[in-house]
Amino acid sequence: MKLFYACSASTCVVLILLLLLYPVILSFIRSKSPKFEIYYHSVIALGLSFYISMMLLLLSLILPINMTVTILPWTNTDVFDMDISLQFDLYSVMFMPVALYVTWQILEFAYTYMHADPQINRFFKYLLIFMTAMIIFVTANNLLQLFIGWEIMGIMSFLLIGWWHGRADANIAALQAMIYNRVGDIGLIYAMAWFAIIHNSWDIQHIFQLPQNEKINLPLIALIIAATGKSAQFSLHPWLPSAMEGPTPVSALLHSSTMVVAGIFLLVRMNPLMEFNPTILTICLCLGALTTFFSALCALTQNDIKKIVAFSTSSQLGLMMVAIGLNQPDLAFLHICTHAFFKALLFLCSGSFIHSLNGEQDIRKMGGMLYLMPITSSCFTLSILSLMGVPFMTGFFSKDTILEAMSASYVNIWAITLTLMATSFTAVYSLRLIFFVLMGRPRTKPVSTMNEHDPYAIKPLVRLAVASIITGCLLVHYMVPPKMPVITMPPILKLAALIVSLIGFVIALGLAFMANKQLKPKPPSGPHHFSNMLGFFPTIIHRFIPKIILTMAQKIASKMIDQTWLKKTGPKAASNINKPLATTTSNVQRGMIKPYITLFLLTLTIAGILVYFTIF
Amino acid sequence: MAGVGFRRWAQALSKGRRPGVSALLAGCRAASGISKDTLPGPYPRTPEERAAAAKKYNLRVEDYEPYPDDGEGCGDYPKLPDISQQERDPWYQWDHPDLRRNWGEPMHWDFDMFIRNRVDTSPSPVPWSSMCKQLFGFIGFMLFMFYVGEKFKFYLPVAPKQYPYNNLYLEKGGDPEKQPEEVKNFEI
Amino acid sequence: MSSFGRALGIIRTGTQLFRGGPQRITTRKASGGLHDELQYRQPPQITKSQKFKSEFLGGLMWFWILWHFWHNPDAVLGHFPWPNASEWTDEELGIPPDDEE
Repeated sequence: MKLFYACSASTCVVLILLLLLYPVILSFIRSKSPKFEIYYHSVIALGLSFYISMMLLLLSLILPINMTVTILPWTNTDVFDMDISLQFDLYSVMFMPVALYVTWQILEFAYTYMHADPQINRFFKYLLIFMTAMIIFVTANNLLQLFIGWEIMGIMSFLLIGWWHGRADANIAALQAMIYNRVGDIGLIYAMAWFAIIHNSWDIQHIFQLPQNEKINLPLIALIIAATGKSAQFSLHPWLPSAMEGPTPVSALLHSSTMVVAGIFLLVRMNPLMEFNPTILTICLCLGALTTFFSALCALTQNDIKKIVAFSTSSQLGLMMVAIGLNQPDLAFLHICTHAFFKALLFLCSGSFIHSLNGEQDIRKMGGMLYLMPITSSCFTLSILSLMGVPFMTGFFSKDTILEAMSASYVNIWAITLTLMATSFTAVYSLRLIFFVLMGRPRTKPVSTMNEHDPYAIKPLVRLAVASIITGCLLVHYMVPPKMPVITMPPILKLAALIVSLIGFVIALGLAFMANKQLKPKPPSGPHHFSNMLGFFPTIIHRFIPKIILTMAQKIASKMIDQTWLKKTGPKAASNINKPLATTTSNVQRGMIKPYITLFLLTLTIAGILVYFTIF
Repeated sequence: MAGVGFRRWAQALSKGRRPGVSALLAGCRAASGISKDTLPGPYPRTPEERAAAAKKYNLRVEDYEPYPDDGEGCGDYPKLPDISQQERDPWYQWDHPDLRRNWGEPMHWDFDMFIRNRVDTSPSPVPWSSMCKQLFGFIGFMLFMFYVGEKFKFYLPVAPKQYPYNNLYLEKGGDPEKQPEEVKNFEI
Repeated sequence: MSSFGRALGIIRTGTQLFRGGPQRITTRKASGGLHDELQYRQPPQITKSQKFKSEFLGGLMWFWILWHFWHNPDAVLGHFPWPNASEWTDEELGIPPDDEE
């Protein structure tokens, strides 16, 4: 039975990889394919792989889940073994269908959104390579395999953010993503090196079984840094809102639902290492709480619709980090899965709005979309309600459980305060989005092209909307958590998450009604600046650190060292030392007989004296 | 550059007419890089020299200000204000819109630092010092509060705490003479 | 290497000549294709099906929420009351009555 499961599971994964790579290879073979050829192939490939992964999921619900399958040996030496091996546990088997479903819908949507792009084939190719990397990452049972997937995702993120590379802003955003991710990669590489040196193994299951001591803190902190970089936790977060310079389908796929959760997924994978390590768990908890609060705070005053959604993503990632800090990796994973659906939907809806308004992203210039695009508006509202954690929507099952687990455990009081505040902020900025985008009168330009009649734009939205209504319930019913979440608690704790959301909602409603009145315009206050300028973090860091580094490069590396080399030690120094010697010796030789005779006599005398002393 | 040098070097060797070091040296790149005519001229001392230098760098005499003559070798290179390209007008028709730069415009000595995706110096609505204070104050406050939160943990118990010895009757200063009431935490 | 590339280029151009046919020039249009007509100060033309779909989605959501609220309110309001051992009967605990021998 086990053999059957192993065979079928690895066949499924290999099939999925082949299917996903087929359009990519096709595009390499045929240099001039018709405009949408790759698109059709990739949609079919994604749909098929989704069904295959669903089959795998159903199979794993019947048969034992946790299994490692070694496909073939990679390098085998006396001290270091490495195999290409796949891991089939709850996480990989569950995440594959979720990611494939979301990607499938996003790809269909991208057909409308990127319709006029001349390089559309390449766009879909990138997305498919990204998806392949994601599957390699998720199923990896080997740190190197994991790292390969991780890096390909990073590269694809860079290429896709900089998709419109004619714009300097997009280039800057792509560079930011690259550089911040590099910091995280260094963490991952450090951890890998540590495991290779100390444990002689990169096999994840093997690493878990080895004895753990105090020193494990170092690689664990490195792993947290890796997760911080990839999942945009506080201090390495500014790349995520900047990444919104890319096309909206990219933001929906990479920067909300799949790639950014890779960092959290890494920690979920590595959880057995940090399970009994309170220091690391506290770091995760505090980092997550700070991230979720800070991002929610920044989202409050943004005016760009994609920036708001990006910050809410960052905030939810912080919440996942909190769940890891609570030692509940399953809850974090559940939130990864549910978050993928409604956040992708939220992005696609905002993409649809932006597209219909000819690229207008400022929510103050939208308004009244409810009357112009009813289906998209329905989906938008729905996903926002899911994000807020309205009971029985998808988001509720994971978000509420995390908050419950938090309030029922013995935790840092400030962390829980921040998390609850962030939850109520979520309600505030969500209502702000609805208020500005959907309600009121249109504040758009009078020229508009509403494209809701197009089925390609609507179908993915509707499918994702249905998914974000019902999947939470399904996932909760079919996911048997190895770690028991809290089941019983006093009503006040049970309702805490809902209460704070409601408070936020009421506050936002009050503010919204205030916004309808004509008030005297005031210059923005200090806190507003703090929130609107993203806590001044990007401004300070992006100006200060490059300036220091580049000034040092100029002054020390380029100017000082070059000048020292040329003037003080190198050629100039050689000439300076040799010149006095050369002038003295050459000054003597003036072609006159007297100095020569004098010198001759002088040397003769010295020689005579020396001979005299040596003989006698 | 290295390729060119190598090719010349190889040519010199293959010709074989001038063997030895001199042939090798001819193919090598000078260590100092720039040739004499692309280096800045000597530091201008008289007003006429200043005017000539300003003209050389396409600047007006009023705008021209050389780097101080402190031996760093900047010569007559103009000291331009530290303004990044990002700060310039995005709507003006620049000759190089991507660099926001006109043709023949003098370059800043640290131009590579001030290109658009590096250091940005555009003014912010809040002064720099107050930005720093707020950000680092925020981070410091958060760290401090996390420290405090680590000392005082949050826990909401579902039942009152139970202690032995009749809920520590004597330890809580109860009267030892009087027999305390039996505390029942559970009933069988 | 360069001569090789040049030869390839010549061949490529040659094949293009042979292929003939009208050259397709890729044009980018802001309108046309999937997009609707440009509109200027017109009321939105919402079709009935659009309205129905949007209402249906909202209705589905409310149905889902309310249906679950009806059948499973514990998920929101707390799972079950804190167990009070004194209320448990002997029958539930499987304790035989005292008089049983």
